[in-house]
Amino acid sequence: MLKTKLLLTTIFMGSTVFAQGPAPEAPPAPGGQGASAVDLSVKQKPTLTPADMINQSKEYFTGMGAVVKRIQTLQDQAKREKDIIRLNCVTDKLVQARVNVNIAEQSMATMQESVARNNEGEQTHEFTRLTIVNQKVTVLGAEAENCIGEDLSFVGATRIEVEVDPNIPQYDPTQPGSPFIDITRPPSASPID
Amino acid sequence: MNRRFALSIGLGALLAGRVASAQEVTIGYAGLPAKSSGESNTGIQISDGVLLHAGFGVEAGYDTNVFYAPTNTIGSSIFRFMPYLELTNATRTGPVSKELTFDAHAGLQYRHYGNSVISNAGYADSWNPNAGLSLSLGGAQFGFAVADVFARVEDAPYANSAGTGGVPAKGIGIERNNNQASIEGRWSPGGGRLTSILRFTNMVNIYDQNSQQSYSYANAMTNTLMLDVAWKWLPKTAIFLNVSQSFVDYLNNSAATMNHLSNSYPLYVTTGLRGLLTEKTSAVLTLGYVNGFYSNGASTSGFLGSTYLDLAFTARLTQLSRAVVGYRHDFLNTVISNFAYEETVYASYVQQIAGRLGLDLSGRYAYLSYQGQTGDPTQQGRVDNYFQLGATLDYFLRNWAYLGVGYSLLDNRSNIAADSYLKQQVFARLGVTY
Repeated sequence: MLKTKLLLTTIFMGSTVFAQGPAPEAPPAPGGQGASAVDLSVKQKPTLTPADMINQSKEYFTGMGAVVKRIQTLQDQAKREKDIIRLNCVTDKLVQARVNVNIAEQSMATMQESVARNNEGEQTHEFTRLTIVNQKVTVLGAEAENCIGEDLSFVGATRIEVEVDPNIPQYDPTQPGSPFIDITRPPSASPID
Repeated sequence: MNRRFALSIGLGALLAGRVASAQEVTIGYAGLPAKSSGESNTGIQISDGVLLHAGFGVEAGYDTNVFYAPTNTIGSSIFRFMPYLELTNATRTGPVSKELTFDAHAGLQYRHYGNSVISNAGYADSWNPNAGLSLSLGGAQFGFAVADVFARVEDAPYANSAGTGGVPAKGIGIERNNNQASIEGRWSPGGGRLTSILRFTNMVNIYDQNSQQSYSYANAMTNTLMLDVAWKWLPKTAIFLNVSQSFVDYLNNSAATMNHLSNSYPLYVTTGLRGLLTEKTSAVLTLGYVNGFYSNGASTSGFLGSTYLDLAFTARLTQLSRAVVGYRHDFLNTVISNFAYEETVYASYVQQIAGRLGLDLSGRYAYLSYQGQTGDPTQQGRVDNYFQLGATLDYFLRNWAYLGVGYSLLDNRSNIAADSYLKQQVFARLGVTY
């Protein structure tokens, strides 16, 4: 009887366990603003093959390139509008983005070498680095979009309005009077001719 | 621009009206305008930067004392007509340039007395031309200007001359021709606080020698050199120093000498204040030394005789009204003796009413004491008390067309009875100043 109860309990619990669906996936990490197509989640180390890493890295480069291009467009726009405040902000983001792209290029080269040498540890390290750099560039792109220009903080060019009292004469009263001809009637007289 | 303020001087009535110094104020009845009023949107644009103004005026009325007689006055209807043309560099909306301005104008006044007695005596009609030209060049620091004005006025003679029935004989009135040319240079270094003006003026005054009362012995040329230095301690208020030296030369010295007139070299050295006191009030305050320097006979002397005083106060009571009061102590050349001391008090009030009516009231009292020996011994020691009133009420049909009424009073009370007279004129008038 005890063995039968144990067997039934095991079957019952097992069916209960296997009745549950697979564990839900972890919710996606909160993405940055801008393009929602970029997947910022870091895949688990055991699920990526070296080819996957390289392909993903190439996608990262495509995305970073688009972000740098967008920041350059914003820079040109600020230059045209002569918005110095916004230009400084965007230029700062562009410089940082380019530095990060350079880092990503170095990581890409190192990762490809490690793939060739079948150095799994180094592959993972460089891929992680690439992922972080991609995230940074994406954030810089979002920050560049939100650079505040003069149109939000500038209240307008200084304008001077002069209000002249209409009672004030338009001519210059400090000038001496102009000479005027004298054609007044002479006094009566009987002159000597 | 206020219409009544802008209606300019009528040369045809300047026999009576006097212009107050340093201000464009006419005292007495101004008569018909001889220039455009300066209103915007008037004139004919004949080319870029050149505007032609044209106008005319007509007056009809009555004169109570045509020959300025003390008694047995002769009155007459009077008619005056004056067309004019004026050319300026401007547009209908304002001046083209502040660096170059020019103005040329010409007019011709016709005057007719309707009384047959006057017509029969030959005094009915007169033609009085006038013309002027001015050109001004310069910028903020240097400036240059030339101007010339000519006017001829023929008026009825005095009744106390030879004649019967109060009508002088010969049929030629008192004719006076006056031409004045001036040239000046202006210098305002730096910010324009200090302004210097050097001006030379030449005036030629000619009386027709064929007239009943020929004053041709008094034909004269006057050359004047003036230096004015003003310091603007406020933008429109200045303290000034003015030195003026004139040379008065009678063209017929022998005739002038016979009538006890002599050449003179009047010198004025004055100082004072010109310009705004407040945004609504302005003043001209002038005090200084004067000396006639007559080459022969009487000359200015003593403390009062060597003092020049000119006080004028203007108040813009509202945007549509202006009042002027003034006093002047001076001397002036005369045709019956070397000179006369003159004390003058005057006042003017101009009011625009309801945007269409313009009222102009003015008056003057002048005390004239003739000094020195007179050519006519009956005039020795003459003192005149001269009263003058003028009034005009105009209705502006448009800003360039008006009709109205005018009144003029001239009252001279002399210590010599024969020189006293009372003359009144009333007019109905209409005109166009386009």
